[in-house]
Amino acid sequence: MPDARDAAARSADHAGIHRLVDALVPALIAKLGTLNVGELEVREGDWRIRLRRPAGAGPTYGRRATDRPSRAHPGHEQHGHAPGAPEPHRTVRASHAAGTPGDQSTNGSSGPSLAPVGPGRSGDAGPDREAPEGGALTRIATSPAVGVFQPGPRAVGGTRVRAGDPLGVVDMLGVPQEVVSPVDGIVVGVIVDAGTAVEYGQELVHLEIATLVEGR
Amino acid sequence: MFRKILIANRGEIALRILRACRTLDVEAVVAYSEADRDSLPVQLADEAICIGPADARRSYLSAPAVISAAVVTGCDAVHPGYGFLSEDETFAEVVRAHDLTFIGPPPEVLDRFASKEGTRRLLGGYGLPTIPGSDGMLRDDEHALHEAERIGYPVLIKPSAGGGGKGMRMVRTPRELESAIKVCRSEARSAFGDDSLYLEKWLEDNRHVEVQVAVDRYGHGVHLGERDCSVQRRHQKILEEAPAPTLSPAARADLCERAIRAVVAAGYENVGTLEFLVDARSDFYFIEINCRIQVEHPVTEMLTGIDLVATQIRIAAGEPLGFSQADVQSRGHAIELRINAEDPANDFRPGAGVVEAYQAPGGPGIRMDSHLYPGYEVPPYYDSLLGKLIAWGPDRPTAIARGRAALDELVVDGLTTNVEIHKALLASETFLDGRMTTNLLDRIGSAAFLAAAARS
Repeated sequence: MPDARDAAARSADHAGIHRLVDALVPALIAKLGTLNVGELEVREGDWRIRLRRPAGAGPTYGRRATDRPSRAHPGHEQHGHAPGAPEPHRTVRASHAAGTPGDQSTNGSSGPSLAPVGPGRSGDAGPDREAPEGGALTRIATSPAVGVFQPGPRAVGGTRVRAGDPLGVVDMLGVPQEVVSPVDGIVVGVIVDAGTAVEYGQELVHLEIATLVEGR
Repeated sequence: MFRKILIANRGEIALRILRACRTLDVEAVVAYSEADRDSLPVQLADEAICIGPADARRSYLSAPAVISAAVVTGCDAVHPGYGFLSEDETFAEVVRAHDLTFIGPPPEVLDRFASKEGTRRLLGGYGLPTIPGSDGMLRDDEHALHEAERIGYPVLIKPSAGGGGKGMRMVRTPRELESAIKVCRSEARSAFGDDSLYLEKWLEDNRHVEVQVAVDRYGHGVHLGERDCSVQRRHQKILEEAPAPTLSPAARADLCERAIRAVVAAGYENVGTLEFLVDARSDFYFIEINCRIQVEHPVTEMLTGIDLVATQIRIAAGEPLGFSQADVQSRGHAIELRINAEDPANDFRPGAGVVEAYQAPGGPGIRMDSHLYPGYEVPPYYDSLLGKLIAWGPDRPTAIARGRAALDELVVDGLTTNVEIHKALLASETFLDGRMTTNLLDRIGSAAFLAAAARS
């Protein structure tokens, strides 16, 4: 495709890039170093620039809303287990032998499906799942009970919520137990599907903290 | 038989139930609190589900949490173990209302045996001697004083809803009765939510002997012999053995036969234990029934070779018992030592912490039921039982000798345990002669007992 824009526009862009690289980026890097955040983004005109800490260099993120000694710490895999201790089974398996995560209905007729449970218990619950942006300051809303998860209208990516806002319910024998946001922030997405059986403390909704989003 | 059982308990009994499920080829799900995430039953389970925080009221004692866990994991039965919800008839009813089976007596049977006082009256009517006691619950101080006078001091004040020796007081005078009754009421109210009290005649120097029974849904019942649980500290058993060392074979047979006849006639179902006090003349008095599997069940399993937990599960599933009294053969002698995380030198203060090293003993006749492993962190929220060391021998001296050797082999580093009290017991003349009574340790004091053992 030939470039539709004229030479003047291109030269303005180049000037803009030089200015960003020479002045703004070093200033942002310095700023990022002083803030306790993993990522910064600024917009100027048509340009957007995002800086991200390398993995592992950021602040502790993905810490659970509920207090989980020995499981919330990075590197907890070694905690409390001497060599030779039996390897924990890490998931609650689907309760219906024929069911697979993809084909279970959510209307209860074939029973709830079961997602991997618990931080550090699921085989796939690594740092990637806890912080999909690779460094964004995130929080997780967890399950207040053992039961079946039903996300609420606010549990949709992009929704701005305040700490304590309801994100859905976990139905425990017909009694709804509210899932609440642990922080002021923006919903990134739900971690388990509607109608999934969840255990106490299971990670349900992924949020990004408001202070980061505001670019404070 | 059940397809899948939810194990609603923790520690060694969760492990014991898991093992029974495996031998019965039944799937098991271990329900656990956040404090037990790293526990051995959770690690060994095919499936495990977190039901709540460390606080037992929101996990192991929460009927909705336990039942919801059973429902979402597709279980068809719930095994409550001992303690927690194991004898709660309301829980058993709610379990049934969710199309699940409570592994234990059916709710209406639990209900019939729920009140200790009512049970004494019921089984008394079927020929079991009971301790002289108050006529029903104590209405007020005046009634209590009147009844105590009629029974004769000393008397024991007991909470109707109690268990495990909690909330009991022995009093020798009307003045002591008046002050103790207030304390007992408030303790019973906070511990059990029920402050009904009754009185029992206090038998000096008694022994605690209990009879294990198993009764199926079709009214076919057997006894599996007795256990002597006289070695107690503040009404908590710490060592149990069978056969009871001071009862003659004829006295044992009489006790066990009358016990099984009475519970079958009263409509009991599933495994259970009838507790008796036995006085110096071998007269026995029924005190209460435990409608659950008990901590000390391995003693009977060692003697009879019958898996009591599997039997309990089979009965709850509606299977016939499958064996008769003649099939129950008791062989040799067995002793169980409860290994607790508590400090005998410090008034048995319970402890918690990381197990730095653990080595279970072995050898002929030795069985160790424990959930410990090296690196395991014993949480501070629950009871202090770390495990049970069971020693069997063809006779009592051999069982004791094996128990001693096993105690020397046992390693539990990082925690203070009561192993020293067991070593002292197995070396004490009183125990070796089979003369332990329920109040002996408290009367002479555990510290004095340990010191005497160290001198000998």
